[in-house]
Amino acid sequence: MTVLDTVLIIIGEIMIGIGAISDLIAAIGMNRFPNFYLRLHAATIGTIWGAFLPLIGAAFVATGCECLGDYRWFMAGGALITAFIVLILGPAGSHALARGTHRAGIVPVEPKVVDHLEEDESLPASPETEEGKNEEEGESP
Amino acid sequence: MIGINEIQLFILAILPIYVVAFVLYTIRALRGPSVSDMVLAIDAMSYDLAAFLVILAIYFKQPILIPVAIALALWIYSLDIYVSKYLEGKELGE
Repeated sequence: MTVLDTVLIIIGEIMIGIGAISDLIAAIGMNRFPNFYLRLHAATIGTIWGAFLPLIGAAFVATGCECLGDYRWFMAGGALITAFIVLILGPAGSHALARGTHRAGIVPVEPKVVDHLEEDESLPASPETEEGKNEEEGESP
Repeated sequence: MIGINEIQLFILAILPIYVVAFVLYTIRALRGPSVSDMVLAIDAMSYDLAAFLVILAIYFKQPILIPVAIALALWIYSLDIYVSKYLEGKELGE
């Protein structure tokens, strides 16, 4: 075991610790926030800081620990692939869920200052008020 | 120098934080007012469960737990997409 392995293990353990604390913060926020659209914030913290960072740290620990045997490269690579999947698919899934919920209208947007998405959804009901498009939608009297 | 015993001791100290977080996520998933809250809680809990499985794989020195985490992350994304598609169009499609 060289010095580099020790540094890798320490960095990985710090990442796993930060991830566990962020996971607890996200779980508390998931219970304390009053609305669905505010809970998305806690869910994003739990996805990126609570899942992506411990996976990178687990990859570092598995790389640095020679005591895991010959399978430690498999474990490090699998942890990196899982981290990449979580990094790509977590925000995409949360965004799709928020869009579907807003389109269905089953949760009211409670602390609302301005809602451009709702204005965009109610816009095709009256297309003649839009001054930009006047050639294609001109069949209606 | 850090051996497997110190790593196992560190992971054993980290495990209760994850368990408390999973219990809190489960409370929100059970008493969510709408379907979206339940799905969002299960979504965040399952991504954290994938990270937890990888940490457990290091703790038990069992590399067979790694493909379970990859499959879990992919299935939870499919849950998100199916539920949002149903909420948006009131159908599942194909």
